[in-house]
Amino acid sequence: MKAFEQKWTAWLDGQLCGKELAEFEASLSDKAAAEADKREVKELGALLKQHLSVDVLTNEEFFSHQLRERIRCEGQAKDRHAARSPWWSIRGLALSGATALAIFAIYAVVVMREKSPSERSEYLTQILNARVDPAVSPNATISMFETKKDKVTVLWVEGLQSLPADYAAK
Amino acid sequence: MQTEATPAQADVSELELVRQCQTGSAEAFDELVTRYRTRVFAMIYNMVHNEQDAWDLAQDSFVKAWRSIKRFRGRSSFYTWIYRIVMNVTIDWLRKKQIKGAGLEFDEAIQLTQIDPASRTAPKADPLPHARMERSEIRARIDEAIKQLSPDHRAVILMKEIEEMQYHEIAETLGCSIGTVMSRLFYARRKLQSLLRDVYEGV
Repeated sequence: MKAFEQKWTAWLDGQLCGKELAEFEASLSDKAAAEADKREVKELGALLKQHLSVDVLTNEEFFSHQLRERIRCEGQAKDRHAARSPWWSIRGLALSGATALAIFAIYAVVVMREKSPSERSEYLTQILNARVDPAVSPNATISMFETKKDKVTVLWVEGLQSLPADYAAK
Repeated sequence: MQTEATPAQADVSELELVRQCQTGSAEAFDELVTRYRTRVFAMIYNMVHNEQDAWDLAQDSFVKAWRSIKRFRGRSSFYTWIYRIVMNVTIDWLRKKQIKGAGLEFDEAIQLTQIDPASRTAPKADPLPHARMERSEIRARIDEAIKQLSPDHRAVILMKEIEEMQYHEIAETLGCSIGTVMSRLFYARRKLQSLLRDVYEGV
């Protein structure tokens, strides 16, 4: 929905057409005054065009020469700055840090993930080994089998003479 | 919108020049500057009404264009693109100047009326002294009226009436909607009508 001033401007510039034009012109209370205003705006435009479209740039070649020099100097300053910048600049350090972090992340995700968990629970096996006293049960062997899929753990004990008094399997 | 070269030829070679600029060719950029320096300068001059300031702002605009030419994607014409830079540079400058002090522009206007306009606006045919005087007086009146507009309103009226740009081109250049362009044009024209009615009715 255009505001009145937008419609008015579009009408002055001949940008309204069809239904929109008919509706707008019908909404004007004084069409003669509006037409007079339209002519006035055209006169204003002609005046501005006539007096502001003058060639005001003198020394065109000097303008271009000065600009070329500015661009050249700026380019040289940029090159000097690039040559002077040490590799350990803040940007360089930040980039190095980000690269190191990225490498670590890749290592953690790819390499460490490849290490599949062992079939047996090492933690439980260690406890059991610690509980078997070779003096009491020299031929004792304890094995554990675990099926993760079925959530079953089997503890296979052979040659055990006696259980330690403080043994408590948890 | 006006162009200095014939549109078809200008468009093709202009794109080629822009491509060369994007590979770092200062010569190609120099060619683009040669094509547009007069119009860019005139537009800025009509906004700021001071030759030295217009010169500096035109230089700044072209330097900025050179720095960012690699980002030009060719979605609009090169002239629309550089116009956007020119307008940003000039409007920013005008706003800063307005903040610094409002009295300055009036002093400059007096100076312009007394010394400068005759030489600046003199047509090449060298008209009679009274005609030249009349032109310079009218020019001073117009400059004074335009100074009373806000930077945004100045930009819109000059782009529409002098450059004959379409609403959508003005909107693209200023980064606003077409509706905003039309509204600004409405108020700018109203203001200028009230300030310059006797001038254009007298002409």
